[in-house]
Amino acid sequence: MRVVIAEDDALLREGLALLLRSEGFDVVAAVDNADDFLALLDDTDAAVLDVRMPPTFTTEGLKAAETARRRRPGFPVLVLSAYVEDRYAGQLLAEGAAGLGYLLKERVGKVAEFVDALRRVADGGTVMDPVVISQLLSRRRADDPIRSLTPREHEVLALMAEGLDNTTIAARLVVTETAVSKHIGNIFAKLGLSTSDSGSRRVLAVLAYLRT
Amino acid sequence: MSRDRLLRWWRALRYLIVELGAGFASLGFIIIGLAMTPLLIFSGGWLIAPLIVRPLRWWAGLARERNSRHRGGSIQSAYIPLPTSPSMESSLRVTFSRSTGRDLLWLLGHGLITPVVTLLTIAVPLSVVNSLLVPAYWYLAPAGDPISSPYPVTSWAAAAWMPLVALGYALIAWWLVPGIAFGLRWVQVAALTPGKKARLSERVTALTASRAAALDAHSAELRRIERDLHDGAQNRLVSVVMMLGMAERSLENHTDGALPQLRRAQEAATDALAGLRTMVHDIYPPCLDELGLEGSLSAVAGSSGVPCTLEVSGLHRMPAAVESAAYFVVAEAVTNVNKYSAATRVNVSVTCDSSDPEDMLHIVIEDDGRGGAVERPGGGIAGIRRRVEAFEGTVQLTSPVGGPTVMRVELPCGW
Repeated sequence: MRVVIAEDDALLREGLALLLRSEGFDVVAAVDNADDFLALLDDTDAAVLDVRMPPTFTTEGLKAAETARRRRPGFPVLVLSAYVEDRYAGQLLAEGAAGLGYLLKERVGKVAEFVDALRRVADGGTVMDPVVISQLLSRRRADDPIRSLTPREHEVLALMAEGLDNTTIAARLVVTETAVSKHIGNIFAKLGLSTSDSGSRRVLAVLAYLRT
Repeated sequence: MSRDRLLRWWRALRYLIVELGAGFASLGFIIIGLAMTPLLIFSGGWLIAPLIVRPLRWWAGLARERNSRHRGGSIQSAYIPLPTSPSMESSLRVTFSRSTGRDLLWLLGHGLITPVVTLLTIAVPLSVVNSLLVPAYWYLAPAGDPISSPYPVTSWAAAAWMPLVALGYALIAWWLVPGIAFGLRWVQVAALTPGKKARLSERVTALTASRAAALDAHSAELRRIERDLHDGAQNRLVSVVMMLGMAERSLENHTDGALPQLRRAQEAATDALAGLRTMVHDIYPPCLDELGLEGSLSAVAGSSGVPCTLEVSGLHRMPAAVESAAYFVVAEAVTNVNKYSAATRVNVSVTCDSSDPEDMLHIVIEDDGRGGAVERPGGGIAGIRRRVEAFEGTVQLTSPVGGPTVMRVELPCGW
C-alpha cells in the first residue's frame, strides 16, 4: 500500500517513515507541508497527516485532508495531532466518515494498534481517538439516554465509536462476540439508532448521535 | 554680593536667552502649523494628525526638560500613547485630548509672548554694556549726530553721565532678569503641567491602553511558549514513544532492530529534556530572582568567552516577563557572538530612560566580529525577534560582511 506522510518535525517524519516501511507499507514520500502532500495525491493510496504544519502552524493538516477528500472522495486519511478536539473531529467527519482516522500523535507508540488503525482507514473504515470519544461522552446532558447505559454498554459504545469492529471489541473487553452483539443491540435500542448499519456507517451513526 | 547670587543671576540670564531662541522656534512651529491646518482639515487629516501631535509633544517635552533643569524639580506629563495604527477614532482622541489642547495653548503663548518678553529683558543688561560704551561711540561718531540712549548724547558732559546710567540699568537688570526668569518659568510650568483632572483622566486612558497592550503581550507570550513546547518537547517525546514502540515490535518479532531503536529513543528523550531545560530557563531564568536583571546580565557578560563589557544605566523594576525577555535577548545575542562572530570584544549596553514617556528599555549589542549575520527562520535572531515582538518591541540588526555587527533592541518596559 502506497502511503504519503506529511509531518513538519524532521525526526518524527523520518521515524514514521521508518516505522511504516518496517511494517510493510510503501512510503512514497515523507513531506513537511500540506502542499507537497496534495501534489502527490494521485500517486498514493493513503496519507498520514500532521494537523499543525507550516506556514501558520494551526490546522493545515485538517484543511489538506478536506481538500484531498474533496478531490478524491473517500481518500483514506489518518490525521495525527498533539492534542485532539471533538470539533476538529466533527469538521473532518462532516463530509463522510469512511476512510478517516483521527488520532493523538503518541498512539504511534503502540505500533501494532497504530498500523492496524492505518490499515482500517485505508480499507474505508473509521478510527477515532479514545480521547475524542471520551470528550463527546463527557458532554452529555443529564436527561440523556446514554445515562441509562450500563457501564459495560458504555465501554462498548466508546470502542464502537473509535471505529473498532465486534471482534476487536470482544478481544479488548475479553468477552465473546455474541456478548458484544447483544450489548450493541441494547445500546442501539436505548439510543434509538438503526441496528442495520455496519462498519463506518455504524461509527458515523454513533458519532452523529454523540455530537448532537 | 556673593558669588552664589551672581551665578544665579547668570543662570537666569542664560535661561532667558535659551527661552528666547526656543520662543522663536515655537513661533516657527505655529507658522508651520497654521500653514498646514487647511491641509489637515481637507485631506483626511486624521491620518497625519499623529504626525503633528508627535512633534508637538516632543517640543513640549523639551520645554518641560528645560524648565525642570532650570531650578530643579520635574514636570510631569500625562499623554495618551500615540496609536500605532492610525484609526480615525484613536487619532481624533489623541488630537482632541486635553494634553494636546494644553500643549497648543502653551505653544501659542510661548511662540508669541516669550520672544517679546525675553528680548526686552535681555536688552537691559545689554544696555548696561551699551551705556558704558556710549562715550566711545560719541568719540567715534561724526560730530553733531546725537547718540540715542535714555537721553541724546551730544556732548562730552552728557557722555560723562553715562556710567551712572549704566549703573541704573545694572540695578534694574539685577532685579529684572531673575524676576522675569522666575515668572516665565512659573507660567510655563503652570501651562505645561497637566491639570489634576486632566492628569487623572489621561492616566486612566493611558492605563487602559497599556493594560490592553499588556494583555496582548501576555497572550502573545503564552502562544510563543505553547509553540515552543509543541515543537520541542512534545514532538520529541512522541518520537521517544514511537521509537520505543518500534523497539518493542522488534523484540516481539525477534528481529535485531531493537537496540539501535532504543538508543535513538534515548537520544530523543535526552533531546526533549535539554529542550525542556532551555525552555524552562528561558521562561524565567532563576538567576533573575537571585541577582536581578543587572546582576544576571553581569553573569552573562562574565561567562562570555569573547571579552564582554556591560554598561547598565537607569534600570528600575520591570515586569518579570520583560526582565526575562531582556535577559534572553542579551544571553542569546552574546551566545551568537561567541559561536559565530570571531569577535575580539563585545559590548552590551542596557539603558532605560525613565523620563521617556514611552518607557523603553534599550539594548545594544555590538561586536567587532566578521559580520554577515542573517536572520534564519528558527535561528537565534528569529528567536530574539519573536520574543521581543511579543511585547511590541523592535529588533534592528546591522551586520555588513566584515563587521561590525550591531543589534539594537527596544522593549517597552512600563506596562
